[in-house]
Amino acid sequence: MTRPLVAIRGVSQHFGADGARVAALDSIDLDIPDGQFTALVGPSGCGKSTLLSLVAGLRLPSSGSVLCDGEPITGPMPRKVGMIFQEANLLPWLSAVDNVAFPLKLRHVAKAERLSAARRMLDLTGLRGFEDRLPHQLSGGMKQRVAIARGLVQNPAVLLMDEPFASLDEQTRMVLGDELLRIWSETRKTVLFVTHSLNEAVYLADRVVVMSARPGRLVDDIPVDLPRPRTFAMTAGERFGALKDRIWQHIKSAERR
Amino acid sequence: MTWPERHVRVSQALLYLGILALWEMLPRAALVPRLFVPPLSEALTALVTHHRDYLGSLPTTFGEILAAYAIACGGGILLGQVVGASATARRVLLPVLRSAYAVPLVVLYPAMMVWFGLGSESKIAFAAIYAFIPTMLTAVAGVAALTPALAETARAFGATRAQQILYVALPASLPSIVAALRLGGALVIVGVIVAQMLGAADGLGYLITRHRTLLDSPGVYAGIVLVLAITGLHELILRRLERKVAAFRQGD
Repeated sequence: MTRPLVAIRGVSQHFGADGARVAALDSIDLDIPDGQFTALVGPSGCGKSTLLSLVAGLRLPSSGSVLCDGEPITGPMPRKVGMIFQEANLLPWLSAVDNVAFPLKLRHVAKAERLSAARRMLDLTGLRGFEDRLPHQLSGGMKQRVAIARGLVQNPAVLLMDEPFASLDEQTRMVLGDELLRIWSETRKTVLFVTHSLNEAVYLADRVVVMSARPGRLVDDIPVDLPRPRTFAMTAGERFGALKDRIWQHIKSAERR
Repeated sequence: MTWPERHVRVSQALLYLGILALWEMLPRAALVPRLFVPPLSEALTALVTHHRDYLGSLPTTFGEILAAYAIACGGGILLGQVVGASATARRVLLPVLRSAYAVPLVVLYPAMMVWFGLGSESKIAFAAIYAFIPTMLTAVAGVAALTPALAETARAFGATRAQQILYVALPASLPSIVAALRLGGALVIVGVIVAQMLGAADGLGYLITRHRTLLDSPGVYAGIVLVLAITGLHELILRRLERKVAAFRQGD
């Protein structure tokens, strides 16, 4: 196998000072190959979002290291890693296209160039015609599409998604899930997708990594052997149910403790 | 269906014109006693007649307004940023400030005249205190609305500290700063004029009171016209500032 694109090596994370120290992550080892769609699930508060923010370079691990493309992550690397949050977190005073172009503006890319790149990304996420809308003029699902376009605009190798559909209604979530798979099959990004929806994890991912309750450890690593393209009919199938059940057994025992 | 912008503008202009026309016609038709409200034209004539007095009162008035403006808005906005940034400070101070806001501060003015004398200092002090709390409350609300999530998002996309301030924190808080300036300015103008009316030896408010004691209604209204002009000027400046802020937020 080729070198993993993202490598998490013996990562532990603590919060707070010595007296009231809380362990959030405990010696996590995880390799993610290039182009893989990995879902990260676990009981609430297990540190999945913390793990994601380590890959994003938003914080540094207490011990261990995170590598992207062989290079240790010491801070945000926006050209390699794009981030999509639970809330779209768009700048409310900027139009959709300006929001998408924002990461390029931070890098002083010329205006014409960054706007044309942003327009291409809005086309890709199905928002042609909405370029000049302000965030408050867009629905929740459309805002999240803008956020996905913004995450993709620098053509990063890795896309980190922190429960990106959690604040959307179920129908919008299903539509956006299919959209995400289409975009992923067109761009072949490496995706690390945190979710608390077992359906979403099995439906979208090549592989589901399950974490335990705090302090988060890896308890299972499940390859999703469903064919692609995924269809809604599969969600009612036996294999789909078996995979979901295997994840659920871990979560259930963790939540009971 | 929403009205086009042009219709809104025309209606507003008609509304202003209507008010001015009523001001002229109601006293002329003897529907309002001239002693209470003289026609607009008489007020303007009085303004021309007494223009030496009125023009002479403007430097004092503007000086007092600007000094109180600087204290109330400078201090109020600055302190508002500090208090607004801390959840604990907001919890402790906001209820206190809100109840202080409910006190009719004008009752303090006689005391201030004793402390600061009949000159400009007492007007500046009163107007500054009068406008300070509401200005600060407005600024606090703006800072509190700033979400840390936006700064974190910008950081994830590689924004430096300076870029986070320039592209996120500043554009996010500027509208509340402009709102604080607008409210603070309006209250400072009220504060200075009222203080001058209650006890002064100079200024627009003083002239209004003097003409009133002489039952010279056109003279009183000449002063009122000038006060309206000052508030109009203030509004004009702030609208210009708002447009600048909007342009800055687009980042062009």
